Amino acid sequence: MADTLLDVRDLSVRFETDDGTTQAVDELSFTLAEGEVLGVVGESGCGKSVTMLSLLRLLPPTAEVSGSARFGGIDLLAASSAQLKRIRGREISFVFQEPMTSLNPSFTVGRQVAEVLQRHLGYSRKAAGARAVELLDLVRIPAPESRVDEYPHQLSGGMRQRVMIAIALACDPKILIADEPTTALDVTIQAGILDLMRDIRDRLGTAIVLITHNLGVVADIADRVIVMYAGRKAEEAPVHELYEHPQHPYTIGLLGAIPRRGVDRLQEIPGLVPRLSEPLPYCAFAERCPRADRRSRSEVPQLREVRPAHLVACFHPGSE
Amino acid sequence: MTVVEDATDLLSPRARRRRLLRKRLARRPFALLGFAVAAIFILAAIFAPWVAPYSASATDFNAVLAKPSWDHLLGTDELGRDILSRIIWGARASIQAGVLATCLAMAIGVPIGLVAGYYRGWIDPVISRVTDVVLAFPFLILAVGLAAIMGPSLLNATIALGVGAAPGFVRVARGETLALREEDYVRAAIANGAGDGTIIFRHIVPNMTSTLLVQATVTIPAAIIGEAVLSFLGLGVQPPTPSWGVMLADAQSYLSQAPRLAVYPGLAIFFCALAFNLLGDGLRDALDPRTTR
Repeated sequence: MADTLLDVRDLSVRFETDDGTTQAVDELSFTLAEGEVLGVVGESGCGKSVTMLSLLRLLPPTAEVSGSARFGGIDLLAASSAQLKRIRGREISFVFQEPMTSLNPSFTVGRQVAEVLQRHLGYSRKAAGARAVELLDLVRIPAPESRVDEYPHQLSGGMRQRVMIAIALACDPKILIADEPTTALDVTIQAGILDLMRDIRDRLGTAIVLITHNLGVVADIADRVIVMYAGRKAEEAPVHELYEHPQHPYTIGLLGAIPRRGVDRLQEIPGLVPRLSEPLPYCAFAERCPRADRRSRSEVPQLREVRPAHLVACFHPGSE
Repeated sequence: MTVVEDATDLLSPRARRRRLLRKRLARRPFALLGFAVAAIFILAAIFAPWVAPYSASATDFNAVLAKPSWDHLLGTDELGRDILSRIIWGARASIQAGVLATCLAMAIGVPIGLVAGYYRGWIDPVISRVTDVVLAFPFLILAVGLAAIMGPSLLNATIALGVGAAPGFVRVARGETLALREEDYVRAAIANGAGDGTIIFRHIVPNMTSTLLVQATVTIPAAIIGEAVLSFLGLGVQPPTPSWGVMLADAQSYLSQAPRLAVYPGLAIFFCALAFNLLGDGLRDALDPRTTR
């Protein structure tokens, strides 16, 4: 097994707002190994994006973050803002969901790629410009020599997302965090972007955290999957294990919601993710769960290993 | 290989951009007209000694209050001075006041607005309330008051106009900064390790230039008119130096006899202000990267 790159322990995030508090993440622990692709799956509002943003302290000041996140000998959650600035975009970089608005409309895409190189690696303007062409080529943008001089509005959504990936990869980061990178794109373009990310991992050895609500996307590319529900980890397993032997009723529900040939109607999970003002003293999924019993409603299920490398937080795990 | 459809494909990106801007401006006839008229005023101001047929202060007592003729195209004033020449020389004061006051207003207002909008905290309400208080005074009243305190001269009038127009820029810059710092590309830049300086100067300022340009196009004509008002009131340019405002003031006594003494400088103020307005509108549309035409 490769070395552990990122070790997150007991991460909790609360938002203190005028409308009261919201518990977005509740004592979440996970690790990421070098060169690994980790899928983080869950419905909207389950805390997956907040978890990743909190690691680089990109949340608004109303967020209260506790726990630890060891990365290369420092705790990200306790690091100084100068340390964080050196890590952001250089050691750990982000690709966001909205390629249409994540690029600055006033500069050519080449300058925006070059900006990161100049800032983090001290490239000269000219060298950075030349390297930008190589990076656009790396993310498979056709005719990169002429594309560098184009403005974001001249590019399609898929091309812009490739530019965002080029920016994220510019400094050869150890971790690439991609937050729903394909959600805003057409299905055919999605496949191209996922293909590109897999290629990046194989060629550059970059560890990738892929946040998505789509288990189909994860199946395509991830090595290991974490399923989150209401700020907690519901299940964690290697990707094939998860698909073949899902244990948590929530995971089974998500898998039932993937369109498949021969299945007429998609299964939905009744109800919504609860908005929590504080950690629930029982299983957060109990209200929507067909297997819930008295114990589920009075006690928090702890994570336990039910099969090799397969963790689940449920009192009644099982594939069927 | 595909056939090159358009010769612009062969040009360097910078030349292509310049050509695009020219093309977009060319599609806007009023902007071109504004540009042409503004250019005439600016050139007249710069080359006044060579363009003006007479010196601005040369008197001809044989032709006092003369009607327009081939000798004096717009006639002469009560001291026999050539009105056309005085309008051309007067453009200097107007253009100088209009452009410099706007630059000064921008230099004061934009940094203050950026600080308020970017850092928020306690500084924002302080700056905003002070701006509101200053904006509560009508622009001209404020400029008249400041000019009166500093004493009459063109430089002081320009400073007074610039300070008077600064709150407008504070407000615009603050509002734009508040909106732009929430943009996805600003969040993305922060996630990629950009510091405050990079965010402000590469991601916020460049994206508010078209809004600032709009504010400037409102401010330049206002400052041109403001200079005329201050000079009219004796707080700006001092006679015998020519200025459109001074000419209007001098014309008051002859309104019934020779109304053209007031009409010509009045028209100069009108056309100059209009030209800068039209030019500004056209530039704003042409510079916006989201405009497709």
